[in-house]
Formats: sequence, C-alpha cells, structure tokens
Amino acid sequence: MVDRDTWLEIFHTVLSNPLRTGLTGLSIALGIFILVVMQGLGAGLETGVKQTFGDDAANLMQVETGNAQLAFRGRKPNRRIQLHNADEQAMQAQMDSVPAWSRLVYRWGSTVRNGNQQGSYGVRGVDPDQREIGQVNLTAGRFVNERDVDQRRKVAVIGGQVLTDLFPKGMTPEQAVGTLIQVRGIQFAVVGTFNQTGSRWENRSVYVPFSTAQKLFSNSDVVSRVAIGTGAASIDETRETTASLTGWLKDRLVVHPDDAEGVWVDNRNEQAEMYRQIFGGIRLFVWFVGMMTLLAGAMGVANIMAIVVRERTKEIGVRKALGATSGSIVAQIVQEAVFLMLISGCIGLLAGTWLLQGIAPFVDHDFFSDPRVDFRSALLALGVLIIVGVISAIGPAVRAVSIRPVEALRDE
Amino acid sequence: MSAGYLAAVIALKSIRKAYQTGSQSLTVLKGIDCTIEKGELVAIMGSSGSGKSTLLNVLGLLDDFDAGTYVLNGQNMDGLSEKAAARYRSEFLGFVFQSFNLISYKSALENVALPLYYQGVPRKERQASAMAFLSKVGLADWAEHLPNQLSGGQKQRVAIARALIANPSVILADEPTGALDSVTSDEVMALLKEINKEGITIVVVTHENEIANQCDRIIRLKDGRIEGSNG
Repeated sequence: MVDRDTWLEIFHTVLSNPLRTGLTGLSIALGIFILVVMQGLGAGLETGVKQTFGDDAANLMQVETGNAQLAFRGRKPNRRIQLHNADEQAMQAQMDSVPAWSRLVYRWGSTVRNGNQQGSYGVRGVDPDQREIGQVNLTAGRFVNERDVDQRRKVAVIGGQVLTDLFPKGMTPEQAVGTLIQVRGIQFAVVGTFNQTGSRWENRSVYVPFSTAQKLFSNSDVVSRVAIGTGAASIDETRETTASLTGWLKDRLVVHPDDAEGVWVDNRNEQAEMYRQIFGGIRLFVWFVGMMTLLAGAMGVANIMAIVVRERTKEIGVRKALGATSGSIVAQIVQEAVFLMLISGCIGLLAGTWLLQGIAPFVDHDFFSDPRVDFRSALLALGVLIIVGVISAIGPAVRAVSIRPVEALRDE
Repeated sequence: MSAGYLAAVIALKSIRKAYQTGSQSLTVLKGIDCTIEKGELVAIMGSSGSGKSTLLNVLGLLDDFDAGTYVLNGQNMDGLSEKAAARYRSEFLGFVFQSFNLISYKSALENVALPLYYQGVPRKERQASAMAFLSKVGLADWAEHLPNQLSGGQKQRVAIARALIANPSVILADEPTGALDSVTSDEVMALLKEINKEGITIVVVTHENEIANQCDRIIRLKDGRIEGSNG
C-alpha cells in the first residue's frame, strides 16, 4: 500500500512544513510525555508507600504493651505494663491453634562488629516462626531454628545492608555464613543472610534466637512483643480473635477495659486492608489524571489536525486537478498524520522515560521511590491519540476533497 | 457539424448542471452545446455568475453534470466514477490557474513532476521529464527554486510546464493572466500560443478582451447559456 515513492512524498511533505509538523508533533509528544511522567510518579508513590509500610506479611497480629492510662482495681494510672514469659505462655495456652507464633525482644541501636568494621543495627530476638511471619527472604544459610532457641545458641541471621556494611566488598552471602561477629560485644556465629526487597528497615536488622536475646540483652523475662500469624483466617475472624484476645490480656494484666494504651493487639490484616484501599485510591487517581491528560491531548490533536487540513485546501485542489483521486489524497493525509504522530509519540515516550530515569536516583523519599514507566499504558495512550488524530483528520480531509477544485483554487 | 462532432476534442451537448443550496435548486448551466476542434485556441468569456467556472469544472472533469453528453477525445465522460475521472484528468487534461497554485514547499522541478507521480512514473524518469519541460519554458536554471523565490511570470511558466508534462490533449487555463502585469501577460500568452501551435488544444477562461482577442474563437456565456461564438 505504501511504496517507496509514497514514503518520499510523505517525508517531503512532513519535513517541508516545519511549523505544521512541529505543532502537531508537539501536541502528541507533550500528551504522551505528561502521561508517562504522571504514570511514573504514581508508580513511584505506590512503591515508596509500600516500602515504608508494607514489609511484613499482612496476615498477622502483634501483641504489644505500653503505659496504662487509667486507674484500675486499685492500681495507679500511668503505670508500665509488661508481658512476662508466664503471661505469654498462658496466652498461647488459652488460644485455639495458631499457624505461627513468635516472641520478640528488640534492641535498637545495637553495635554489631566484624573485625574493624562496625555499625548500629536493630537486633531482634525471635522464634523460628518469625521467618514465615516476617516473610524473611534468605539469601544464604538458614534461619533461627528450634534448637537455637532451646539451647540459647549465639547464632545470627544478618540483613543485606549489614552484610554490605561490615563485610569486605565482593563477599557473597555464602562466604559470610560461618564467620563470627560481635553483637553488643558478644560473639555470634553467622548462620544465614537475608535480603528484603520490600523494605529499607528490614535489611538493617540482625535476627538472633529469642531465648539468647532475652538472656543476654534484656536480662529479664519480659517479652517485647508477640507476633501471631493468622494464616488464611478471614478479616472478620481476625477481628473477632483480636477482640477476645485483647479482653483476655486486659483481664490478666489488670488493665481497664477502656484503656487504649496499656496493652493492645495490632491487627495487621486490618492495616493491610487499609493499604489496599490507599493503593487503590492512588491507582484511581493516577488513572483519572492520565485519562484527563489523554482527553486534553486528544482534543489538542483533533484541533490541530482540523486546522492543518483546512490550511491545505488549496494544495488538495491542486493535487486533484493534477490527477489525484480523492481517496489517494485522504490516504496521504492520514498516512502523514499517523507517521508524524508515531514519531512524536515515541519522542514523548523517550523524553518521559528519560526524565523519570534521570530523577529516580535523586528522589528516594519515604513515600516516593523507584518511579517506573508503564509502557503498556503509554503505548495504549499513543494508540488512542493516533486513532483520535486520524478520525479528526479524516473529517476535514473528506470535506476538503469534496470542494470543487476550481472553486478552491480561485482567489476571490 | 456531424463531421466536426467526431473530429472534435471536446463535444458538449445539452449539458445541464444545477446546485442544491439548502432546499433551493440553482440551475447554473442551462443546456450548453459546443464543440472545440483539435488544435483550437478558444476563449470562454462571461461575467461572474454566467456559469463559466462551473463549465470549466465540467470540462476539467472536476465536477459531475446532471444531463447531456460530454465527449472528450472521443470518449464519453457521462457518469464517470471518481477514479476514472482522475485517470482521464491526468491523461487528457492539463490545468493552469490564475494564482498559479504551485505547492509552496516543493521546488519548481518537483511541482512540474507532480502529475507524473500520480501516473505512477518512477522518480528518476519524472525528474528528467520535468527538467525537459522546465527548459522548454526557459526555467531550467530555476529548477531548485521554491515558488516564493520566483516572479509571477516565472510561476505561471512553471505551472504551464506542469500542465504540459503529462502530454495532455487539452490545456484548461482559468484566468491565466489574471494575476500578472501586461508585459508578463503577453509573455504567458505568447507561450500558450506557441504550445497551441504544437497541436495542443487550449481553452482559456478570461474576462479580459485583450486576452480573448488573441484566441481563435470566443465563446460567450450568459446566464448559463452560450450567447454567441465568434472567430
């Protein structure tokens, strides 16, 4: 359909009319550019929010304690509530079966040392189930196991950032396994390494057995937190469990039923549901802005195509008088439009991608990271713009070829 | 008359044409009978509204007619399809316009070559042919110039070269000197007469008596009818 001669004619017409070409091209390129950048920023926002909030598995609850605010059964307000080993065991005993259960002792800002290298990291004393609950992604070795906990072994599973910071450059996770490090001045053997792509905090952590951490680093029988996996339980079931567990805990730890801060059960299922809605909202927002941009772009393209074709009425008359059929003229105008829009659409796509990639390294905010181009929707948008452009060109083109040339060519 | 009808390059019989403007019908051509012999140089004159541009449209196969017969080069032009009309236009007819109507972004050479593009002639061949016709009108040195770098007379000569390139039987010239001064007008008319001498039939639409008087014959139109024809 389009032979070399036709292409030359199209090239020539497009290149010989820089203003016309520039205007049409700019409107398409700008539309695609804005769309790509909007999409990218939206994706960046979602990734950023996910990285900050969405590290653990969504199907878990956490039991945490704080300061009780209300006087209750003769106890003073503003007293510290703590969960002791006995409480934790009683809690586990009164619960129906649970898919996963991990006690936690946290020590933030712990100095970890390997040879001359040292840094400050979070140390987490955990039970083996933490691997499932925290969706720990092991890169080498193994996680904390039952025997480690039973025998209070001094073993550690280190995060990717710890590995990068403290070990020589180029050392693989496999090579790090088996080495000895100092955690808060005590020697531990590295038995595994992990890397969480989802979160910037996780990778700055060191997991050790719960019993070891409680004995060495807290020297008490206090449990900082208990993480309970909820498996495949529905959100309503977890709400029920949360309510009954909270009631039980408040009774045992002597906290007023209306006290929000003494002891609470944090239901991550509920939070996950909330994030799902937030991300849904972000996506809807990006989609809406994208559609509006596309609409504005399409209107601009339609307008310019109509003007361009009207401007060519005389040329169309000449071509007709010289032996062109109306069909061939409409076809040429449409081919020119498609060619021009494809080129400028690609320019817009490249420019948008280039901008996003250019700014990506400089924006690493808590709520914004790794802006990415959704090529599929960009190409879809380009397709929509081209179809709109062609449709808006065909109308004026058909009108232009139906004008009798002698009238079109007379200046009156 | 009947012999002339057969030898004629253009033969019109009872051509009628009406335009629909809203609910009203405006009859522009009310039965045109006319023959133009091969090799004639004919002027069509008439005031505005006389139907001369409509007649030119019909002659140029740029518009359909409602009734009558039109025989061009021995072939009946009645009820042509769009495509066939375009083909006959490019085979039989060449156009010259008042305002030249060169394509502004194409060089003189490319403008002249354009009719051959629509005939599917290969690029090299049509460039060579265009160069030959530009030389014929004395503009070989201006081949690469754009229309806005040429004078009015030069532009019209490029347009004439363009009309000639497809070797037409008839050249239809619509006010060819309308935008030119008298000296240039004479040059253009001289060129048209020279072409006419080579055997190409030329029909000139004009409202200038000076131009019309240089032709073999004048066809006068008034209110959609031929008022008179004299030599």
